[in-house]
Amino acid sequence: MDLALRALADPTRREILRLVREAELPAGEIAHHFPTITRPAVSQHLRVLADAGLVDVRADGNRRLYRLQPAGLRDATQFLGEMWSDRLERLKLAAEREEWPERTRAARRTR
Amino acid sequence: MAEPDVTLVEQTLRINAAPETVWRFWTEPEGMCAWWGTAAELDPRPGGIYRVEMEGGPVMAGRYVELVPHERIVFTFGWEPTEGAPDVPPESTRVEVTLAPDADDTILTLRHLGLPEQYTSEHDEGWSHFLARLQHATGTRLA
Repeated sequence: MDLALRALADPTRREILRLVREAELPAGEIAHHFPTITRPAVSQHLRVLADAGLVDVRADGNRRLYRLQPAGLRDATQFLGEMWSDRLERLKLAAEREEWPERTRAARRTR
Repeated sequence: MAEPDVTLVEQTLRINAAPETVWRFWTEPEGMCAWWGTAAELDPRPGGIYRVEMEGGPVMAGRYVELVPHERIVFTFGWEPTEGAPDVPPESTRVEVTLAPDADDTILTLRHLGLPEQYTSEHDEGWSHFLARLQHATGTRLA
């Protein structure tokens, strides 16, 4: 998960993931989307994403094709999910605590 | 007062392996591909060429200048002129790598000289990325 989160901590790499989410693309085409970045720098980003397991790489002749590997994000997604549901759990408890005196009063009245 | 040949990129790192091991990762294709490229052609002797293909296609190339086994390796460095490659032709810059034993480890120092100013930070980042991979790769066994 460290590798995945580190890989995501860069806007160019996040943009590459968006590009390869729907379609498998060769490195050259990915590089075309980043005219201000040199090819080796784009390659390095691809290497970081591949090392982190966020993209799959497949050789096709002398081209290398990249596509999103959603499983690479699983641990990070689960972590973020847990953090978020902890928040929701706390909200639920706080809301219930807020209403609790009223409810007990209501319960007493109906008795 | 002109500066003599300014070192633009210099990095030092400790590798948990002997210099003899680290050396192989600079001079054997399988070793090179464990950290630097996806394909490598090497002729590790003074004047011999090397060509290392990077993830996704760009090619780094140059010539070995000096090889002192397990201690020092000097080579010229540049990019083959493909689309989008930095304007740093093969042979136009120089990389010096020294390996020094320290207990069970190796202290590796890399100096990259002669890079055009606009490509300095990119290569500095590039080396730290790849040297970290080398650091990791030297823990794996070569055939």
